[in-house]
Parts: sequence; C-alpha cells; structure tokens
Amino acid sequence: MRDSTTATKLLHIASVAFFVGIWWVAAVIVGSEIILPTPLETIRSLLVIIPSPNFWPSVVATTTRGLAGFFLSLVLGLMIGILAGLSKTARILIQPLMIVCRSTPVMSIILLALIWFETNQVPVFVGFLIAFPVIFANVTEGIKSVDQKLVDMAHIYKVKKARVVFEVYLPAILPYLIAGISTAMGVGWKVVIAAEVLSQPKYAIGTNMNLEKIFLQTGGVFAWTIVALLLSYISETGIRLLQKKIITW
Amino acid sequence: MQMDIQLQNITKQYGALRVYDNFSLTVPDQKVTCILGPSGCGKTTLLNMVSGLIKPDSGEFKGFTDKTISYLFQEQRLLPWKTVWQNIDFVIKDIYTKQQRTEIITKYLKMVNLYDFRNYRPDKLSGGMKQRVSIARAFVFPSDALLMDEPFKGLDMELKISVLNSFIGLWQQDRRTVIFVTHDIDEALYLGDKIYVLSGLPSNVKQAINVTVPKKERRYGEGRLKELKDELFSCSCNSWDNVCINQ
Repeated sequence: MRDSTTATKLLHIASVAFFVGIWWVAAVIVGSEIILPTPLETIRSLLVIIPSPNFWPSVVATTTRGLAGFFLSLVLGLMIGILAGLSKTARILIQPLMIVCRSTPVMSIILLALIWFETNQVPVFVGFLIAFPVIFANVTEGIKSVDQKLVDMAHIYKVKKARVVFEVYLPAILPYLIAGISTAMGVGWKVVIAAEVLSQPKYAIGTNMNLEKIFLQTGGVFAWTIVALLLSYISETGIRLLQKKIITW
Repeated sequence: MQMDIQLQNITKQYGALRVYDNFSLTVPDQKVTCILGPSGCGKTTLLNMVSGLIKPDSGEFKGFTDKTISYLFQEQRLLPWKTVWQNIDFVIKDIYTKQQRTEIITKYLKMVNLYDFRNYRPDKLSGGMKQRVSIARAFVFPSDALLMDEPFKGLDMELKISVLNSFIGLWQQDRRTVIFVTHDIDEALYLGDKIYVLSGLPSNVKQAINVTVPKKERRYGEGRLKELKDELFSCSCNSWDNVCINQ
C-alpha cells in the first residue's frame, strides 16, 4: 500500500518534470520571451508580481467574486434542483431555462453581463450562470437516485415532509452535490477570470493578466495563470477534504 | 377498542393477471396472523394494499380506517447516514418529546440487546443486528398493527431464531395486531396464532389453522409444531406448484 502511494507520487513528480522539461526545450528553441517565456522567466515574473501592492487585493477580489457567484448557484441550484427532482411539473417548467443556460456561449453571457451590470458584478453573474446548471443537474440526478424504499419507509411511519427532505433526500444527494460543486468550481474559476479580463475591475487576476498582455509581458501572463491554477487547485483540495469530512457512511 | 381487521371482497389485477378475486380474510386483533404461501403469489401485494401503498381495484378493509401501522420490510431500510439511535428516533421525532424519546428508545434497544451499539452506523452492523434495529423501530412507533414482509429471510438458522426470539420478546410485552407474510412454514408456526395458507392465482385461502401452543413453549421446527407442519405441508405441497407471478 505504502509502496504504491510512493510510486504514484514519484510518477506524478516525473510527469510534471517531463512537461516542464518540454516547455523549457520549446522555449529555448523558440528563443523569444514574448512568444514563449522559459519556466525560469515565468518564476522570475512570479517573484515580481507577488510582492507588488495589488497582488493580494487582486487574489482576494477574484476569490470573493468566484465564491459569491458559486454560493448563489449552490443555494438556487439546490432549491430548484430538489423541487425539479421531486415534481415532474417543476422539472418540465424549468427545463427550457436550463437548456438555454447550458448552451449559451460564455462570451454572450459575459458581453450581456457587461451591458447589464457594473464591472465588479460581471464576473459574479457569469460565474453564477455557468455553475448553476451544473449544480442543478447534479441535484436532480441525485434526487432521482434516492432509494425509493427509504422514502416509502418514511411515508409509512408518517414522517413530516420537510424532515424527509432534510433527513432522507439531502444526505442521499450529498455525494452528487459535492461532485457537482467540484465540476462547477473547476469551470467557475475559468469563466470568472475570463469575465474579469473583459470587465476590468480595479482588482482582479483577469485585469492583471490583460495588463501584462498589453505590455507584451508574456512571462507575466504565465505567472498570473499559475496563480489562477493554484487558486483552482486549493479549492479542489478543499472540496475533497470537505467530502471526506461529511460523507462518512 | 378491540376490533378485528376484515379484508372483504378484495380484487386486484395487474394487466390481464388477476392476483386477487373477491378475496376475504379476517385478521384477529392483537394476534399474530401469518399469511403463508410460495414466493410470487401476491403476498407483498396484499401487505401493500393493507398499508395503503397501493390501492385494490375493489373491496374494503374494515376495522382499519383509524389504525396506524408499522412495517417490517424484507430489507431493513435503515438510513445509512444515521446511527442506530438516530434511525429509531427518526420515526418518532414528530410524536414525542425528547425526554420521552430517550426513555422509549433506551427501553427497546435494551430489549433487542443493541443498546451498546446505539452510536453505530448500519454499515458497521451485521445483517441480524440491522434486522433487530428495524424490529425495534417498528415497535417504538406507536402503531396498532404491524405488517411484516418476510423480514427473517436470508438470515442463517441460528441468527434467525435469535431474531425471532427478539421479536417474540417485544411482542409479548407490547401486543399488536400482526400480519406476517412468509413462505417459510417453520417461521409461521413459530410466531403465528393463526395461519392462512394461500395458493393459486387468483390467490385464495387453501387452509386456515390456529396454533394454540403458547409461544414460550414452542421449539423451532420441533414437537407439536412438527406435526402441524406435516399437516400444512400435505395440504400445500400440491397447490404450491400452481402458477404464480413475480411482483
């Protein structure tokens, strides 16, 4: 067991080293920092942006926007998802909206949001609209998978409906919900940053990325990308810990 | 108020298949009534109609309107995310105060020898223990009648007898009207006060017997029960080959 985890870890490290190596060789062959900076130049840019005064405010602002949009989608996705999972009528009524949400190009959503909202709210709205259908779909799927025999049992013992929702349905859909949260967050950070690039809030990872691009500081774009990747990685790890902590049965 | 449950002229049809046709049966109050018959002859359908989970096409259940019921299923139907204690608490939370619940649950868990396991989740329990939890849950719920759908199926002999004894112990102290559906003659003879043998399709009562041996004196599959078994078996073995459906 321990050997296999050590072996897995080594393989992971080897894989990362391999791709960084390829990146490095490619950068050397291209020979232009503007087109493709080397890993070393990227790290150098990272060391420049991290101590800069707007680094932390930007990271915090982007994180806040991502989480805000995400929590909105979680609350609404859960409520409407449970409703649609339990009632066929609700499901049919909500279906067209979900199809539109899912199929509308992200760019259309961002452009419309730019027209409708002020800059700070655009990424929140976009994040919400992208994450919402994912959470909704997983919650509805989860509800459908609930063991009908447990529901019948609760029915026979005349357990109140609200308690059946909270004590039978909700725990049963948790694994689906957490999978949904994970997917939604994965996509969520990407679209939030994309929306920031276009809406240009004062503090934002996306705004900084765009600035670096304008000044042709490709190393800077790479550095901010690494920050975005780290943000995504941290949230993913957080969700996994949460999953372990909550789903213990 | 004592009142027998009467099933009168029940008819139930699935597509072209008539499971019950003008079927009538009396379930005596505060006794264990066994419905014995082969698998797939509509025994579960009968219980589901009594519990109201499904409706008969026609016919009546008399003496049943105000009765509350508990149900022991083939599977234990415990909530995997709740402990033994919480699983039982789940069905009476809307009925009693916290203090009352604590007293009741403690009493019944001790009676089925599971008090020490009250904080365990179902996945940490054996099949027999889980079935005892569901028996305790059925008794904790303040019902007039208890419906049992082969709850002892799949337990090995020793375990089955211990679970059956747990059941008898609870029932002796708290007599409810029980309808117990099974295909196992020994189980029916061990628990039943009245046994109806069903057969055929549509189902009808092939034979009805009263078991008068006191429950405490019964030995599983032995003695007087053995004689009754032979009697029942001679009646049922030819009829059990009849056409049956799988619900």
